[in-house]
Amino acid sequence: MFLLPGILLIFLFFLAPVVITAVMGFTNMDYRFQWNFVGFGNFFRMSDDFLVPKILVNTLVYTFGTLAIFNVTFGLILALLTTSISERVGLFFRALWLLPRFTPPVVYAAIWLWILSPTRNGLLNGLRVAMGLNPIAWISEYPWGVIIVTNGIIGASMGMLIFASAIKAIPRDYLWAARVDGASWFQEVRHIVLPLIRWPLMFITAYQTLSLLTSYEYILLITQGGPFHASEVWSLYAYNKAFSAYAGTYEFGYAAALATVLVLIGTVASIAYWKMFRFREMMAPPRIEVS
Amino acid sequence: MAQRKFTPGSLERERRKQRILRVSMYLFLIAASLPIVIGYLWLFVGAFTGNLVYGLVPQSFTVENWSFLWDPPSPAWPDIWRTFFNTFFLAAGVTLIMVVVSTSAAYVVSRMYFPGRSMILASTLILHAFPAITLLIALYYILRTLGLLDSLWGVILVRAGLMVPFGIWVMKGFFDDIPWDIEMSALIDGATRFQTFWKVMLPLVKPGIAAIAVFAFMAGWAEYIFLVTFVRDPNSWTLSSYINAIIGNYRFTNYGLLAAVSLFYMFPVLLFFLLTQKLLMKVTVGGIKGGR
Amino acid sequence: MASIKLEQLTKRFGKVVAVNNLNLEVKDGEFIALLGPSGCGKTTTLLMIAGIYRPTQGKIYFDDVLVNDVAPKDRYVGLVFQSYALYPHMKVYDNIAFPLKLAKVPRKEIDRKVYEVAKLTKIEELLDRMPGQLSGGQQQRVALCRALVKEPEILLLDEPLSNLDARLRIETRAEIKRLQRELGITTILVTHDQVEALTMSERVAVMHAGVLQQYGPPDELYDRPRNLFVASFIGDPPMNLIPVELERTDGRLRLVADSFVLPLAEEWENMLGQIPEASFTLGVRPEDVRISTEEKANALLGEVFLTEPLGGGTLVHFMFGEISFRVLASREIKMDVGDKFWLVPDQSKLHIFTKDGLSVREVGRRDAQ
Repeated sequence: MFLLPGILLIFLFFLAPVVITAVMGFTNMDYRFQWNFVGFGNFFRMSDDFLVPKILVNTLVYTFGTLAIFNVTFGLILALLTTSISERVGLFFRALWLLPRFTPPVVYAAIWLWILSPTRNGLLNGLRVAMGLNPIAWISEYPWGVIIVTNGIIGASMGMLIFASAIKAIPRDYLWAARVDGASWFQEVRHIVLPLIRWPLMFITAYQTLSLLTSYEYILLITQGGPFHASEVWSLYAYNKAFSAYAGTYEFGYAAALATVLVLIGTVASIAYWKMFRFREMMAPPRIEVS
Repeated sequence: MAQRKFTPGSLERERRKQRILRVSMYLFLIAASLPIVIGYLWLFVGAFTGNLVYGLVPQSFTVENWSFLWDPPSPAWPDIWRTFFNTFFLAAGVTLIMVVVSTSAAYVVSRMYFPGRSMILASTLILHAFPAITLLIALYYILRTLGLLDSLWGVILVRAGLMVPFGIWVMKGFFDDIPWDIEMSALIDGATRFQTFWKVMLPLVKPGIAAIAVFAFMAGWAEYIFLVTFVRDPNSWTLSSYINAIIGNYRFTNYGLLAAVSLFYMFPVLLFFLLTQKLLMKVTVGGIKGGR
Repeated sequence: MASIKLEQLTKRFGKVVAVNNLNLEVKDGEFIALLGPSGCGKTTTLLMIAGIYRPTQGKIYFDDVLVNDVAPKDRYVGLVFQSYALYPHMKVYDNIAFPLKLAKVPRKEIDRKVYEVAKLTKIEELLDRMPGQLSGGQQQRVALCRALVKEPEILLLDEPLSNLDARLRIETRAEIKRLQRELGITTILVTHDQVEALTMSERVAVMHAGVLQQYGPPDELYDRPRNLFVASFIGDPPMNLIPVELERTDGRLRLVADSFVLPLAEEWENMLGQIPEASFTLGVRPEDVRISTEEKANALLGEVFLTEPLGGGTLVHFMFGEISFRVLASREIKMDVGDKFWLVPDQSKLHIFTKDGLSVREVGRRDAQ
């Protein structure tokens, strides 16, 4: 009885959508919402779609670029630095970096749209004008840099928090022992801290790959995938095919087929994480056998 | 072994090195955090000034940007207070449903034996990592079928439903941490399993409930993608839709209005964030690692 | 090897004074112990000597060289932690070699030294294992190796035995003492366990609430505790401590508390005579009381309340009104609850403390100076 609402919600909004996405991928459904099955038509179309190779490359570059530069490397640097300085200041910086994650996406996007504004009212162009230079249309000139930095700043905070808590969990005896033995800060990090947090490092890498692969909120808000699909990633492409006002076609069938690819990856990956990160430990049986 | 001399002064050298290292750490952190600081600073400065010279330097103080509070910038847009209330309604709805559903489910999953338990547990744990956003298209279809498009209830249910696995995961961690002895002694003292849950267990997991409630509220308050996709009717707009419309309409012009509405939207978030940032950090970490 | 001198050493953490005005000397090659309950500042002292903590005030000398401003790595100290702090991701060999690697010792040299020290502690066959695969006792040896491989001038041991089981602890006690003798290395042991401190070290410094209480050879601490804290802390079973009033009847001194009345021998006359107060605390070790069936001079008649067989002897509780008095009796004496005996404390081994907790002997000595 206690479980029913939970099961219902999970069924309705997780399991059913997975099935529907997969089935819809085999139809040519449009704004009339009719189930016309077209077999593998959408997948053939995908292989012919001149945009797909570009989108695929975009997706890979975006995912692994952001992951490598920000979510892992920068997150790690932030964690190492904020745990090496005074506790209170470290906490302040971690809180500061966490703020974007809890900022409503539209507000976060608004801030970046101001910073990157092509007019002279934006921050960067304002500074350029002050130096006697001409304004630049940052977003259309450097769509890649923009989406990697904007997503990376949010992405880095997750790694930062996980790594920082892992670093703080290292018994200080280890670090003291190393210090008595003459280790410098860099040697401490290299020989003791990094080997001891390799598990969280792997976890973040795996977990964030999946979230970057499938998230597109900020790209949609800031570059909208443009200019001319230059910063459009797979998940955003699927979204635009279904809902974009510009395309105006509401190609639900094709979009669902595109999404099916991600759902498939997501399913396999989440099962893999579950196996890999020993979530099984959480499944110990209960010890009271009455109800 | 040769007698070694203790040479005074080596600490001074070490400390100088340390100081240089520390100063460069601070410099790096400050430089790296500058965009964030300036960005949020702009919300405040931009909201109260007419025009920023060189993008940053305020010219004059004005409250003109705040006229949206009594006078919608566009006749097609809804009243801001109605929008504000919608946002709150959405956040509160998500919080309530998510907390009630996941707390009760987590208790059962953590503490009771029933056939299929491990399957349900495994699937929630797997779903926790699953990228729900890929299901958007199918969710649209489901809400349309249920007649919940263009309604806040649709978004509330979807968002709450998608957060339930996370909630169950965190709450299960909290329930797991309560010693079995406590529950056993409650049972021996004559409580039923439900009384045990209500009178003994719930008070003990209050911190967990607070944690997921804060999380759910923040998520509901900030909701964007499902909202703009599922809800077009201006009467059901929230502040996200409102700002989305500003960005759409005035894409690169009215930064004063954008800053003011953003600040208006951010205000509860900032307040909440300042009060609960330590909790948020713990749950962000704990939620990932299993609620501990 | 090196001698150590601490001068007016003080360490504060915010408002908390962890170590207060500590003066201590350790001779070259000496083995001393810092003994005290947890939170008494002993580990803080150790970490200041190692250079991990910086003293708030005071000076630390090694071989008469001021080392306050010498970096930890240049102090040539070996440190063994209570947790052993073996790096879990390195093999035993790499754990031991780590300090030498940091010091950029040539590989061959490292190899030689690691094997040498491993041989010394008999762990050669463990070098290829990971710390997680070792027993507590083996880990302890590895930690000791890692401290010794640098050929330190000073060895610091922080509760090195507290994670071992009782039997292993006794063996390791002897082992560490043997190593220390062989190497002649100046050693400071931090412990809360009086048996460890008394058996292993040449001198013991008892600390309480950041303040040094007494520093001397084990016998001295046991026989002549300077104050109430040392008296109560050292000795097992603990000393009987009874608040008493000094009374003079018929020209003789007696200590009285409730129905507990102990006449004092002549020798106390001088020492107590100088003190104006009448309230004292009497300390009697359970083993310093003889039990007799016949009446004796300076004795009290007590009734057995409870007996605790300890194996080697029996701890007998006598009650005098509200006051419980424990006596260690040999097993030969048969006693049952309710039996009455004469208790004869050894007058020369009584400890009497003033209201301030200072031993009366100390007061006398101080006045004589």
